[in-house]
Amino acid sequence: MDKFILNVIHRPELVPEYINSDAQEGQTEQVGKAEVVNESLDIFRLQQEIAHRNGLRTTIQMTYSSLYNDECIELVKKYHDEYGDEIGHTFLGVNCKEFREKYKSKELAMWLFPMDMKKRIVVDSFERFKEVFGFYPTSTGSYFMDAELLNYIKERYPMVKAAVATCFEEGPKVFRHTNSSWYTLMDGSPWTAWIPSKKNTHAIAEDEDDDIGIVAVPHLSRDLLAIMDNAGDMFGTHPQNIIRGLIYEGDRLPYMYNLVDQYQVMKKYNKGFSYNLVYVGPGWMGKSGRWEADYRILKKSYEDFLAYYGELKNEGKVEDMTMTEFADWFRKNQPRSGPICGLWKDIVYGTKNQVFWYADSKFRVQIDLKQGGAITDLRPYASKLSRPCGAGTKANQDASYPYIVHSRYRAGAFTHYAGEGAIKSCKVRYGSEEVDLSSCRSTGTYSEGEGCRILGVRPVEIEFKNLTIKLATTYTFKENTGEIIISRKIVESSEPAAQVEVDEFLTSCWGTNEYPEDLTGCLLSVSGKDGSRNELSYEYRCREHSAENVECAEAVIPQVQTKVGLTPSSEGCKGYYEEGYSFAPNLKIGISKKIGLNQELVTCLKVERAK
Amino acid sequence: MSQGRKGKINYRCPHCLFRDIDFDLLYDKDVEQYYCRRCNWEGTEHEILFLYAVYKRKYKDMLKRYTVQDILAKDED
Repeated sequence: MDKFILNVIHRPELVPEYINSDAQEGQTEQVGKAEVVNESLDIFRLQQEIAHRNGLRTTIQMTYSSLYNDECIELVKKYHDEYGDEIGHTFLGVNCKEFREKYKSKELAMWLFPMDMKKRIVVDSFERFKEVFGFYPTSTGSYFMDAELLNYIKERYPMVKAAVATCFEEGPKVFRHTNSSWYTLMDGSPWTAWIPSKKNTHAIAEDEDDDIGIVAVPHLSRDLLAIMDNAGDMFGTHPQNIIRGLIYEGDRLPYMYNLVDQYQVMKKYNKGFSYNLVYVGPGWMGKSGRWEADYRILKKSYEDFLAYYGELKNEGKVEDMTMTEFADWFRKNQPRSGPICGLWKDIVYGTKNQVFWYADSKFRVQIDLKQGGAITDLRPYASKLSRPCGAGTKANQDASYPYIVHSRYRAGAFTHYAGEGAIKSCKVRYGSEEVDLSSCRSTGTYSEGEGCRILGVRPVEIEFKNLTIKLATTYTFKENTGEIIISRKIVESSEPAAQVEVDEFLTSCWGTNEYPEDLTGCLLSVSGKDGSRNELSYEYRCREHSAENVECAEAVIPQVQTKVGLTPSSEGCKGYYEEGYSFAPNLKIGISKKIGLNQELVTCLKVERAK
Repeated sequence: MSQGRKGKINYRCPHCLFRDIDFDLLYDKDVEQYYCRRCNWEGTEHEILFLYAVYKRKYKDMLKRYTVQDILAKDED
């Protein structure tokens, strides 16, 4: 397969988020002001004209307000007839006069309404859509849609095939970036198209029974390395977001082309398939500019961006589809449960840094190659957590899928003064010296085997006082099993007879942001090959236990219904757990063994739903 | 002191930008100065532009074009 697919989405949002606030500066709020509506429609026309000029078809997502605007409706019908654009639907842009009068609410985020109102809005807007166009939409979207909302839509309107279901890694980092005022707290989803579980939108479906019935796409295709430690709203297929990040000079934005080209490279890791979504709201192309950028550069960046896709299309390198066409294609050509992979390289900071991402129905894993190939973010999709969001739910605004490892939110390799942060890494000991692999920068190689995807971490050199070794790491992801086989092998040694202790460990916790959550009641255990078992219930008392010749070391985190374990493939391994304490609120499990040249420690990291 | 208003250009506070917070500046026309309501930064347009230029220095490859071939070549590094 050789398929790079593009969805371009435009929405006639007659009261755009940003234009509206600009128009209201110093004035009494007047949602629906004529000049705002007219400017927004002009922007929509311009966006459409730019797409068509470059031979690209679009999906037009009708907002609530646009379904009550005759001029817009006629315009959209014309685009559909002349260019084959899809007329779809969105829950963005509900902030209009008609909506406020009917619902008596200023809420603007579909995923944050109480469920009874979500249902009313679905029926109201879908029926209005049918009244206007004579058919129901087959694609919809919002910045986030939880599984409860998607299940309801699919049950009531089974013709819906596609949805913009999340914004990839818009979570605490974006919240902070927006002066703690933009409530898209939704970390944890796949970064490209996927089929969600009926139990949680973020999680990839297990099987046909778990299939929610729609193909989900993330709002924008983002830089998989830049977003790890930065707000994602500056690093995506959205030229004006790139301008917001000041990643440009004059009218030059080479980074936006670099992003597209790196997404073409993603075909290499996904059996020839890759995907891009472009979705620029009209508020980003207002005549009054956006922050420092004037209208000219905002407009030109969009023209240049779509012109590049147009060139790629002419060269046969990208295929533009509408959202529903893409959903049909995806159903026929992609496996329901993944996996999806990406070995992403730095294209903006001038480093050799790389990151590997993997996702299937059991987990989403991020491996930071500059940290020796440590797992720095792990979301346990296997638990298929039921986690509805919005008013009246426990999570309310916090729509993220919880992590069990997050090295940036929860310290990782570096802590101040005491304790250890959340990371899956490895320590190598020789005599009294110890080196954490996360301090050894490396890069990765990618390959595939029967039912598995393999990340090779290029060997790193580890220097002790009287010994230098090279250690190679391999991660083998056994597709949709929740198992990662991790091999640590000594491939060179200055003292061939010397042995070092390799300690394969996981320091874990759970949460959705930077702050610690309660670990009370987590179960830590070490089981021996002889059938013995030592178990502990977490109470922040800094207790620990180790045993020789172990079968496995495990942790159950009931708060996220997740069990995670490390099982060695060989005899004679030591296993341990460490409880942690309140200043170091983590749990730790590990497997260790002494090995020499050309020997390896192989362990299986398994993530599963806790019973 | 007079009421702060948005300037002709809607600049963001450079100091807040450095800690990844977008926060609009206000302009005090009496003293021809921008200021931030969140942190303690105040200064001229010239100072804003200077600090923006400093901010951009973290993007060492900001103006470099990486094609598909360039990115694939990184696999072999």
